[in-house]
Amino acid sequence: MAGILIYSDNTELAADLCGFSTPEQEDITALAFDGPAAEALSTCGAKTVVNIEAGKDAIPESYAKSIAAFVREKGYGLVIVGATPRGRDLAARLAGYLDCGYGADVSNLAYDGSTISYERFNFGGNVVSHEHIDGLGVVTVGKGAIERVSGPVATVETASLEADGREKLVERIANVSEGVDIAAADRVVGVGMGLSSEDELKLAEDLAAALGGAVACSRGVAEERGWLPVDRYLGISGKVITPQLYLALGISGQVQHLYGVRDAKVIVAVDKDEKAPIMRNADYCIVGDLKDYTPLLTEAMKAR
Amino acid sequence: MTKVVACFKWVQDEADIRIGDDGSVDLSRAKGKISEYDRNAIAEACALAGMLDEGSPVGLTFGAPSSKPSLKDALSRGLDEAYWAKGTDADGADGSITAKCLAEAIRRIDDVGVVICAEGASDTFARQTAPRIAALLDVPCVTSVMEITVKDDAIVAKRRLDDCMETVEVAFPVVLSVLPEIVEAPIPGLKAIMSASKKPVTEFSSTELVDGSRPLAKVSEITGTSVDRKCIDITKDSPEATVQALVSALQKEGVL
Repeated sequence: MAGILIYSDNTELAADLCGFSTPEQEDITALAFDGPAAEALSTCGAKTVVNIEAGKDAIPESYAKSIAAFVREKGYGLVIVGATPRGRDLAARLAGYLDCGYGADVSNLAYDGSTISYERFNFGGNVVSHEHIDGLGVVTVGKGAIERVSGPVATVETASLEADGREKLVERIANVSEGVDIAAADRVVGVGMGLSSEDELKLAEDLAAALGGAVACSRGVAEERGWLPVDRYLGISGKVITPQLYLALGISGQVQHLYGVRDAKVIVAVDKDEKAPIMRNADYCIVGDLKDYTPLLTEAMKAR
Repeated sequence: MTKVVACFKWVQDEADIRIGDDGSVDLSRAKGKISEYDRNAIAEACALAGMLDEGSPVGLTFGAPSSKPSLKDALSRGLDEAYWAKGTDADGADGSITAKCLAEAIRRIDDVGVVICAEGASDTFARQTAPRIAALLDVPCVTSVMEITVKDDAIVAKRRLDDCMETVEVAFPVVLSVLPEIVEAPIPGLKAIMSASKKPVTEFSSTELVDGSRPLAKVSEITGTSVDRKCIDITKDSPEATVQALVSALQKEGVL
């Protein structure tokens, strides 16, 4: 059996990925960059955990060439990497060094020991591409796609892998939470370019507060207008959320944005344009000016 | 002369895709466009070339003959010249073929200091081209870049990652992928569009560059996704009545 190598810079995600199973019960090896990660991954389905003891200043992607050599040496047939920015970078470099197939952000992953099959979205989520790789392949998988399991304690080994010394870390500043986590919120109010001024953001914030939720936005609001931080925009190049309720205010509903909310339980759209794409992608539609409706919605939510 | 190569892709416009009731996908009416995120990559290549001594922004694309309009579009965005890896190999290419073709083309362009790609293309959004080119060329790579400065013969790049902002320094040559917020991509003016026709375009044969390689990630089937939404217009005669109806509906849905 070829075996499967798992890695994610997000240890929680790596622990989930170790739960991947195959009909042939392929052995799972988890790659860890330090002791705490190795320990965390030792009881979630991996037979072996390989700790490369890289240290806290390591740039994981810069180990791609030596990890590729390690994959060749051990003969793994599949490498599963967590779909984070670092993970996607590392995975694509691995595929380049290994000259093998690569599936990005895949779902319904299956592996029979020789063929890797999976699905992935194209064209902003409009199209599902059903793909397969014969022989060695690398895929990235996001949160929620593979269920975590608990397993017997893995054997922990160490390995010495080299980073690409040409990539030098200058500074790393941890994100400071501003108290808004749109990915965790059950109710999200999204604002789009239909907002005529920054002052109107207050309307959305009041509504989100009344709902006990958070304010997110379309890419244009964050990038072009700079009215909200870029980590609040939803879509294919931004955040992907799965709230119970997504309330879109003045959002036209381009496919790139819809990708970020496609799994919301209920979508409500408020927009002046009855022909806007959001109206074909929402459960409840209000054709009108968000300035008229948002304060009334806020009052109604407060009165519940 | 240090060339800053912006890679760009001619893609089918997702807005023109028609999904049939049976899940079939009709791409026949889809018009072409330069992938939106690539426009930011081109703009950043122009900005970065301006920071270098004798920097020159150039474009590179891998496309079938039908992608010819992309060259004039890209050149109108401030590039000095363009390179076109031309051939039908682009139709049905996976990331491995694309990266091989672009990497081989880059080897044939003199004085390349930096290669800039967008984070992903608007059709596949696989986010693999930059790292994969870097691996094939065995040069450093920095992805998710939101700010670039030049320090002597090195690039200092600020990255936006899930849990942190990271700054790294890499010497030339280097491959970068940039986030769309790195710089705005203005719509070219008429003068820029007119002058684009006079700029040089060098063609390569993609068949020669790809050298017999076949896609490694094979597509078995594509199917359309159905939008399973109720699409109920709940607008009533007055805003008050509308809001009341909506709240009632949301309560029944169990989401309030």
